[in-house]
Amino acid sequence: MKNIAKLTRIAVLVLILSLAFSAAAGCSKTRVIGISQFGEHASLDNCRLGFLQGLKDAGLTEGQDFTIDYQNAGFDGAIATQIAQTFSAKNVALMCAIATPSATACYAAAEDKDIPVVFSAITDPVEAKLDSGNITGTSDKLAVDAQLELIRKLQPEADTIGILYTTSEPNSVSAIAEYKAKAGQYGFTIEAIGVTAQSEVTLAADSLIAKQVDCFSNLTDNTVVGVLASILEKTNEAGIPVYGSEVEQVKRGCVAAAGIDYYQLGRQTGAIAARILKGEAKASEIPYEVISEYGIYVNSEAIAAANLTVPADVAARMTEAKDA
Amino acid sequence: MNVLLDLAISTLTQGLIYALLSYGVYITYKILDFPDLTVDGSFPLGAAVTAVLLTRGTDPFLTLLIAIAIGALAGLVTGLIHVRLHVRDLLAGIITMTALFSINLQIAGSNMTVERAASTIFTADPVMALLGALPLIYRKLIVSLLIALIGKLVLDVYLKTKNGLLLRAVGDNSVLVTSLAKDKGLVKITGLVIANALVALSGAIVCHEQRAFSSTMGTGQVVFGLATVIIGTTLFRSMSFVKGTTAVLVGSILYKGCIQIAISIGLPANLLKLVTAVLFLGILVFGHARKGGVKAHA
Repeated sequence: MKNIAKLTRIAVLVLILSLAFSAAAGCSKTRVIGISQFGEHASLDNCRLGFLQGLKDAGLTEGQDFTIDYQNAGFDGAIATQIAQTFSAKNVALMCAIATPSATACYAAAEDKDIPVVFSAITDPVEAKLDSGNITGTSDKLAVDAQLELIRKLQPEADTIGILYTTSEPNSVSAIAEYKAKAGQYGFTIEAIGVTAQSEVTLAADSLIAKQVDCFSNLTDNTVVGVLASILEKTNEAGIPVYGSEVEQVKRGCVAAAGIDYYQLGRQTGAIAARILKGEAKASEIPYEVISEYGIYVNSEAIAAANLTVPADVAARMTEAKDA
Repeated sequence: MNVLLDLAISTLTQGLIYALLSYGVYITYKILDFPDLTVDGSFPLGAAVTAVLLTRGTDPFLTLLIAIAIGALAGLVTGLIHVRLHVRDLLAGIITMTALFSINLQIAGSNMTVERAASTIFTADPVMALLGALPLIYRKLIVSLLIALIGKLVLDVYLKTKNGLLLRAVGDNSVLVTSLAKDKGLVKITGLVIANALVALSGAIVCHEQRAFSSTMGTGQVVFGLATVIIGTTLFRSMSFVKGTTAVLVGSILYKGCIQIAISIGLPANLLKLVTAVLFLGILVFGHARKGGVKAHA
């Protein structure tokens, strides 16, 4: 009898949990877009805001044509999996996945139900095997040539470019290979240091500074960009300019960047999603898109602090990176 | 109702897959009294090996066996470092875990994705022949359930063998083992081998399920394992007829359920972990209060 009483208590607990479940899974009539963002940092946030703007631009109104279910996984892959499965269970009309781990999880969760997945902020969709099936999106491939050209113009005397990257991020590994392959054409050599964890980044920065590189150039490496402020602290002291890979990094103190604006990338992604929601095309029919136009963003304060001069042809094309 | 059912199925599936990891932590932490941090490395190790094998078209079920073998090897290394080189238990695990981070990347190259065309244990021919008519999430549930139950039964049987009893004796009273003229070091190594084989198996199935390996997927898995073991054993503390393996299986499902609830409630994303923590605390307090009640009776 005692055992039965104990089991009853367990059953009550399970009941409470399932009630919480049912309260949680409220159904709504309008179509739901599930946004799964891998974690919160400025570039990915911009991407999401741009995505919402892109839907708006296409004439879709939130609350009327769609509702948003936004989740972020706090950079935890297991949570990204559960978020994607929640979207799948709720039968969302479309999943928007920001950054590769979220996209992989959404794609796996949507496999059976054929829910369209639109990704953004993925450098190499082919490498991530996200280029076939009911999936499409936008890639944030780096503009390596434009960046090298920009550095050459701002620092005509420079020889070596230092780059920090995370060895486990495929995006970064392929970007390093591209940098090394192209650096020669612009008269540079690349000094790259790989790290495995965020705690190693500042140590690696010290090591690059000790090697007397002429400048740093950043990738869109989440681990490295996450501690950009402490890198800049060290490089500013050493008088070494740091180039960013997108506008947000320049806002935060890099001298300049030839790169993409994640807000624009998000808008482009939103436009794709709108076409799918309106039934104009299926995700499987739309090839993923790459931003072809790169902007040149500068931070005048940082440029002045680093004693760099901007040549006239660059000045004509550049945009000051500032928060509006 | 469909939404609820789907949510329950995918949550249950996650709980079952990760239960294998919990069994592993149960063996080291609860039975052997060995805080084994190898788990954070052997979990992605299983996934890395599986990702590479799957992309090469290896039989999906064979990949599980290989992952088990490689995971066992990782446990063996920790065991040897601890027993033969006399490194403290915590540190021995940390050393192997750290080394595995690089080894995993060496195996997989970098983070890896398995293309949809490659067949997994959820889409392989024998599974399709039996369950092909069912939607994928049901197939995932049934296959994970089978593996989790087989793992549990094998472990239950093993723990009752002479060898298994020695394992429990080392954790409880290692002097006894020595007085029985048995090498307690060898027993510890055996425990670590079995535990990490299970952990790697769990990682392998996650790789099948997600079709991806990420070098950071092991981060926090020890904590997950410990939480599920503690939740499970606390809940069933006063029920001696419930086996430890059953308790951690339930613990793992409850853990994933808590996260699922936190996600489904639609709380601000950044509060997810806090809510999960509160739910855990609730479960533990619930279990504790119940234990107190039983004591009052006695």
